[in-house]
Amino acid sequence: MAKNISRRKFLKNAVIGGAAIGTGLGSYQITYGQAKKPAGPIKIGGQGAISGAHADYGWQMMAGATLAIEEVNAKGGILGRKLELKFMDEELKPATAVKNARYLVTDWGADFLFGVDSSGSAMALGPVLAELNRLHFFCHAATHRLTEELVAQRGIPQIFRMVAPVYQDALAAWIFKDNPEIKRWAGINCDYEYGYVAWNLFKENIKKFRPDVEFVAAAWAPFWTMDFSSHISAVMAEKPDAIFATPWAGEGVMLLRQALMLGVFDKIHAWWQGMGGSVDLLEGISREIEGDKFKGKLWGTARYIHNFPVSPENKAFVDAFRKRWGKFPNYSAEASYSTIYAIKAGVEKAKSIDREKVGAALEGIELKTPAGVRLIRKEDHQAVYTVPAGRVIKSPDYTIPILGDLRVIPAKDYFRHPPFTPVAATK
Amino acid sequence: MLEKLIFQGLIGLSLSMYLWLLAAGLTLVFGVLGVLNFAHGSLFMLGAYATFTFYGKLGLNFWLSILLSLVSVGIIGAILERFFFRRIYEIDLPYQLILTFGFILIFDDLVKMLWGGVAMIPPLPNFFEGHFQIVGRSFPYYNLFIIFAGAAVALLLWLTLEKTWWGRMIRASASDREMANAIGINIPLLFTTVFVFSAMLAALGGALGTPVRVVAPGIGTAMIIQAFVITVIGGLGNLKGAFVGALIVGILTSFGILLFPIFEMFIAFVVMAVVLMVKPEGLFGK
Repeated sequence: MAKNISRRKFLKNAVIGGAAIGTGLGSYQITYGQAKKPAGPIKIGGQGAISGAHADYGWQMMAGATLAIEEVNAKGGILGRKLELKFMDEELKPATAVKNARYLVTDWGADFLFGVDSSGSAMALGPVLAELNRLHFFCHAATHRLTEELVAQRGIPQIFRMVAPVYQDALAAWIFKDNPEIKRWAGINCDYEYGYVAWNLFKENIKKFRPDVEFVAAAWAPFWTMDFSSHISAVMAEKPDAIFATPWAGEGVMLLRQALMLGVFDKIHAWWQGMGGSVDLLEGISREIEGDKFKGKLWGTARYIHNFPVSPENKAFVDAFRKRWGKFPNYSAEASYSTIYAIKAGVEKAKSIDREKVGAALEGIELKTPAGVRLIRKEDHQAVYTVPAGRVIKSPDYTIPILGDLRVIPAKDYFRHPPFTPVAATK
Repeated sequence: MLEKLIFQGLIGLSLSMYLWLLAAGLTLVFGVLGVLNFAHGSLFMLGAYATFTFYGKLGLNFWLSILLSLVSVGIIGAILERFFFRRIYEIDLPYQLILTFGFILIFDDLVKMLWGGVAMIPPLPNFFEGHFQIVGRSFPYYNLFIIFAGAAVALLLWLTLEKTWWGRMIRASASDREMANAIGINIPLLFTTVFVFSAMLAALGGALGTPVRVVAPGIGTAMIIQAFVITVIGGLGNLKGAFVGALIVGILTSFGILLFPIFEMFIAFVVMAVVLMVKPEGLFGK
């Protein structure tokens, strides 16, 4: 019961943007008299984690989509139709994600779907999309299997991913390959699909550059781990030179705080925090960064960072987002913002909202987005674009820490390419 | 190898103490009031939120914030006992579970309404920063403090129950409620105070965690399962059992992460299963 109440309450707030646009009744009245125009708004259903330690991601996703929908609607919508948004909580639970998608399509009448934070939820949802027959733009879930297995191999055409997958986390292999002093790597990773794949991909890639590296320890932390000290202490017992970590959001902040308390940064050369460039994580450790507690050893990337690239599109997006929400946009916001514009581009190219036509129109398309030019790869429906890695620093130009000392490796170098060879999604 | 085990054991010990603070109140309420209060985890969460608000938001002194959060959660506990739990002492356990589970959902939504769903971590008080060397490794002062705090609570509880008049009344009413009533113990008042006391223990666990652990809706539910495992291992309603159970679960989980990283939590449940098979009433159960 309470779940429903909270969802209802959230939705009331979440769709302020969508509802304020007031498409429902208004556009019906207009379109009734014009029989040839398609009736009503284009309905876009989203879902993300909007409660718990990872809640900022779902909020950001909702905020990015709302901003784009307001912009598009202010300019007359898509093919003359306004957009309407409904956003739900996936709770990082696969069963909830599937239930939400079914509700959004069959009860609410969504024409397009987007969102989803957890890889586990995404993998459960993938096969259901074929049955629901709606395009779904994934804005955060990062497992390579979503696009490699479900699209490229099993051919589920409804799946698109707008955000950089777990290839991004393995970028560490390119960043640290020229550091001879780093030989012994240890991993502290999420105890589910994302953590397994990130760690395995990293190991595979760095071995190619550096056959001499060793993987001395690995600890696994499930969702809702609140005390990482046992994990940190277990891997530090093997005296690693560097640590590869994937816990994200609030859990990432806790992990880094607890690592500081255990004096880890006195003993290692580098700490790679996969999604260390995520805005909520940077906010969470801003006091420690200002005090230089990490001694410049903390590195990370993200699936988009607001200070890259330096382009008019990115500046316009960041400014509009800050004006609308008073915060810096995180990557899930940029991905959902770009999703709305991808839907616009696809529908306008196909001149229809038909699933097959829009899907075909998007294959191979190049979109100008805040994160740079996104190429939607035909074979796996994965958006290909470059995100740099960097050192976490305090910059006088920003109120929160940012990734600086940026290392730009082109996406084509570190993204995997079809035909895909399998990567283990196990510990 | 021995050094690794010692250090990991110490880390596990600090983990045990968080669990002990939570399990103590859970088992106390079961032992005296006869209610399995699943909403106990929510009181832990409210303690964390209250401390976050007083300390992280309003910038009050850390110790004062903890004290204020204990008082706030104590008041909530008094209201819960007086107006809700008191009505369910005589009915079957499944109905009690429904009420306490209902409160979990209510409190989770309440904190979402008041504080939002996003996780928060206040800054670490300066005096907790730093670490000292032990078996060649760095051990945080904060974890040391938690170990002492947990031990102090254990000692205080033991002294209260064994050496004070109030403790005797509690033990008397736990073993025979009617007889205790007959000899003039004010049972309703005693139950309220015990419930408030256990709520404050839960709040203390939540409060002490705020500077290093996340404050978010759902943290209580995440913790209560472990606390429940602990009380089952130690024997439901038995404080000594809860303390030993917390030590077993915390330290074994920590060793598990070091020695069998693929399983971790699994070990605590194996211990529980073995205890249930060999001694279903728990290690210290009657």
